[in-house]
Amino acid sequence: MYKTIKRYKDIMQEAILNEALSRLNIYALISRVLMNEVDEELLKLIEEDKNILAFFPNFQKWERRQSMERKDLIEKYLNVDFTNLFLLHLVPYESFYMREDQMMETGGENPVQQLYNEFDFRVELDTARVMAGDHIGVELEFMFKLCEAEYKALQDGALDVAKQIADIEYDFLKEHLVEWAPMFLLNVKSEAGTPFYFDAADLALEFILSDFESLTQRKKEEF
Amino acid sequence: MDMKDLNELRSDFESLQKRVQSAQCNDGCRADDESYEEYPDYLAAIYTEIMPPLKSGIYFSRWDLKAMAEELDESFALDVRERMFKRFMQWVSSPEDMQLVIGEFKKNIDMKCNLYREYSEKYPATKASFDSKIKKAEAAKRYLDRVYEEFFT
Repeated sequence: MYKTIKRYKDIMQEAILNEALSRLNIYALISRVLMNEVDEELLKLIEEDKNILAFFPNFQKWERRQSMERKDLIEKYLNVDFTNLFLLHLVPYESFYMREDQMMETGGENPVQQLYNEFDFRVELDTARVMAGDHIGVELEFMFKLCEAEYKALQDGALDVAKQIADIEYDFLKEHLVEWAPMFLLNVKSEAGTPFYFDAADLALEFILSDFESLTQRKKEEF
Repeated sequence: MDMKDLNELRSDFESLQKRVQSAQCNDGCRADDESYEEYPDYLAAIYTEIMPPLKSGIYFSRWDLKAMAEELDESFALDVRERMFKRFMQWVSSPEDMQLVIGEFKKNIDMKCNLYREYSEKYPATKASFDSKIKKAEAAKRYLDRVYEEFFT
């Protein structure tokens, strides 16, 4: 009986760890894709991993993907689309959506930056090539870091710590990403010029909302 | 009950209503349609009250503006969002034009609100956030009608 219970607990723990690992991997992926242009290495990773490629169903079927070299595909289509969507014509910064004057807050007064400071999350704007810490890619990276910390806590069996981190994730999604990212990502979906960025926006939107759904459920069940 | 009591009762009721409305509208939504500021022209009114996503719950992008204008057979290049908005508004030369422009804004709002509804049904935990945006968007549509009344009739 004891062995059966232990085995059951091991299976449960493994399932929880696997789910936590999946979450942090998806946050890493969408953060990277929405922050900067794709490079050959990233595209190769996406195309060669069936599980990841399944997140990009329209890109998977795209005729140009099958007929063009990666380098050409990136230079002629994907980078052009990224520039249009994330640098020129849409606004990927939270402050634009949360301020009545529609301005971006690029200084230290940015509430998201202040939150990062509390958690000692350092954003290197130059390296990330973004103008402020409330860029969608940076906010998703913050979620990735939280999920990574939660995963480590779960691995160590520190359930209380994991729960505290999950609460922070819930609050950050509720107060920030769930509030503004859908407005931005719906426009990315409707204005994407390539199946790749349509799929990336769809993946990010569905994942943010479903992760919030799941964290809400966990909160109700007291983790 | 004399008139004084009645006035006191009305005053109590009004302050209670204000308190309820204020409690319901702590997310940036309008307590009522009277709380908008006065604007010198329809351009300032719409840019200040409808264009900010925080106020209308809707993000009107450069491409949205271009697509809306194209529906009215007007074409202009992608440019700074505020400039594109001004160009679109300057196209208006009659009350009928303004009705068409308002119609395009409302179509865009309705299309996005339908998506909000779909997502909030699929992910019920997000309902409060999407409902708040839909509420703002409905107020924005009413405000567009009010701008028409105020500046074009």
